Amino acid sequence: MSGGQIELVGLTKRFGNFTAVDEIDLDIPAGEFFSLLGPSGCGKTTTLRMVAGFEEPDAGEVRLDGHDMSRTSPAKRPVNTVFQSYALFPHLRISDNVAFGLRRQKVSRSEVRSRVSEALELVQLSQYANRKPNQLSGGQQQRVALARALVLKPSVLLLDEPLGALDAKLRRQLQVELKQLQEQVGITFLYVTHDQEEALTMSDRLAVMNSGRVEQSGRPRDMYEEPETAYVADFLGVSNLMKARITDAPGSRSAVLLGDDFTLTAGAGDLALRGETTVTIRPERVVLEQAGVSGENRIPGMVTRTVYLGAAQQVHVQMASEHTLMVLSSHQGDEPAAQLPPGTAVTCYLPAAAVRVLRPSAGSAPLQSKSAVATK
Amino acid sequence: MRSGGVVVKVLLSAYFWLFLAFLLVPLVVLVVFAFDNSTTATLPLEGLTTSWFSEAFTNGQLTKALARSATIAVVAAIIATVLGLMASVGLTSDRLRLRSLTVASLMLPLVVPYISLAVGLVILLQAMAVQTSLTAVVLGHVVIALPFAILVLLPRLRTLDPSMNEAARDLGASDLTAFGRITLPLLGPALVSSFLISFVTSFDEFAIASFLAPSGQPTYPVFLYASSRTPALLPQVIAIGTLVIAFSLALVLVAEGGRRWAEKRLVGDVEFADEVSEENLAEGLVMVAKS
Repeated sequence: MSGGQIELVGLTKRFGNFTAVDEIDLDIPAGEFFSLLGPSGCGKTTTLRMVAGFEEPDAGEVRLDGHDMSRTSPAKRPVNTVFQSYALFPHLRISDNVAFGLRRQKVSRSEVRSRVSEALELVQLSQYANRKPNQLSGGQQQRVALARALVLKPSVLLLDEPLGALDAKLRRQLQVELKQLQEQVGITFLYVTHDQEEALTMSDRLAVMNSGRVEQSGRPRDMYEEPETAYVADFLGVSNLMKARITDAPGSRSAVLLGDDFTLTAGAGDLALRGETTVTIRPERVVLEQAGVSGENRIPGMVTRTVYLGAAQQVHVQMASEHTLMVLSSHQGDEPAAQLPPGTAVTCYLPAAAVRVLRPSAGSAPLQSKSAVATK
Repeated sequence: MRSGGVVVKVLLSAYFWLFLAFLLVPLVVLVVFAFDNSTTATLPLEGLTTSWFSEAFTNGQLTKALARSATIAVVAAIIATVLGLMASVGLTSDRLRLRSLTVASLMLPLVVPYISLAVGLVILLQAMAVQTSLTAVVLGHVVIALPFAILVLLPRLRTLDPSMNEAARDLGASDLTAFGRITLPLLGPALVSSFLISFVTSFDEFAIASFLAPSGQPTYPVFLYASSRTPALLPQVIAIGTLVIAFSLALVLVAEGGRRWAEKRLVGDVEFADEVSEENLAEGLVMVAKS
């Protein structure tokens, strides 16, 4: 198994008047676990299908290890896919399912046998070799689909929302297993999902897609801590999005005008931007202080609701600037987090370093105000 | 209101049983008179006999007509199934243009009276200066059986996960191999079903066969009609008719039961087989109409 580097250059796909994928450029080094993240209809699956070869791009190229594969049939690409519905062959036994690809090649019978049993061992399903797919559970079928793809030793494995049909607990378990599998096998995984937690926990890098374009790509930590647009900030984790007007401030900072009465200093994000835009701060960066505290970046507010999460609590605060903040306060050391019943007056301290100025989205997806929900 | 409800129930029940009797009594009558030791089909019965059956089987013309019908039906069923499969595959493609027109043309024989079709075919043959022949009958029967083949095959094709074909190609199979190793085996029971329905459609058909079969080579339904003018042949005809009914009944039972068993065996799952067995022609028609 060599290589597995993927390059998407100006990749475009149209269906009639609708542009599903709009000039995507991505560079994925060999051996990386890369996720395409976005809501339904953002173009992530279409992109994956173009890498697999099931759709032909209208413009641009799909390059694998430097070779242009855009017009090559799926059968001839060193790429294999794990489908959302698993797509196992119901009339064949598990071992025959896994052997299917090998039997299309000139591989000797004994080699087929040994590679199939190797693959089944890799996914811990050796004892089910003689069953039929309908006799296995969803999680087991998933693993058969994996074995069937990996037995061919592809350079790249494509996964199209493979865990979508499974319950939450099984999903978490398989997320860990998949990641371990990828590290063990060492090939490039291109993973499509709408689940941001999945993408953040499993990927080496990820790209957030919006209406056919890549809005931002990078490492999970960078994407979460430093989102560039409101769309990305809102998609990854919980964000407190606030509409504001940006003007000058001393030093390398910006002044954020919330409504008519309150000004914050922002120290992160696109500090050169001026005018109407959105700013954000992560719930865990807001500090709740006693009512009446004054100082930089402090806004009075009132608690409207507290959601107890066990390890932490979500405090919903209505600020005097008419914005609503969701604050995550956790217990630290031997100091339990303050009990804040609804109606408590507080002061919200938004540290400048955590106030991020976001630039407008490239795509046309409307800004969704994230109603306060418990983090998954 | 409650008494009104009971009356309606009784009336419906009575209607149901009368209707059933209306359908089945002629068949029962047929079976009864097949064993009647009399040359006329009248009551009272004059003793039981099986001689009509043996006479029927020694009647060369009768057995030849039966054989002709069976052969034509087998050939027509095979051709209709193959063409029906091709049509169904075409109808599941996204890239089909003029979809409504195509479906309408394929389903046309269902609503056109066979006698009109028969006349049209005769005119066509004459225009092409081709003689009437059993081959012409086969072709005519393929035309009328094709819609039924599609009604059986298309819904079954639709329930197959399209990702399976993609998975096969992803794993290195050519389009043909993917079709032959994945799609076709999964269609197995439906193909058999299509064959049997086409067979029965062809075997029973009268109008086209009477117009297109050469005069000395009638098919079984045509022979039946002709021999209704010959009273002496009647008992034999009744005897054979009974056998044909029994055979058709057996065929339908075997076809349906066999299909369920085959589906189960194919994919090793009870739930899946039940889901497929819910399909019937009416559902098939709806699905085709929606396509």
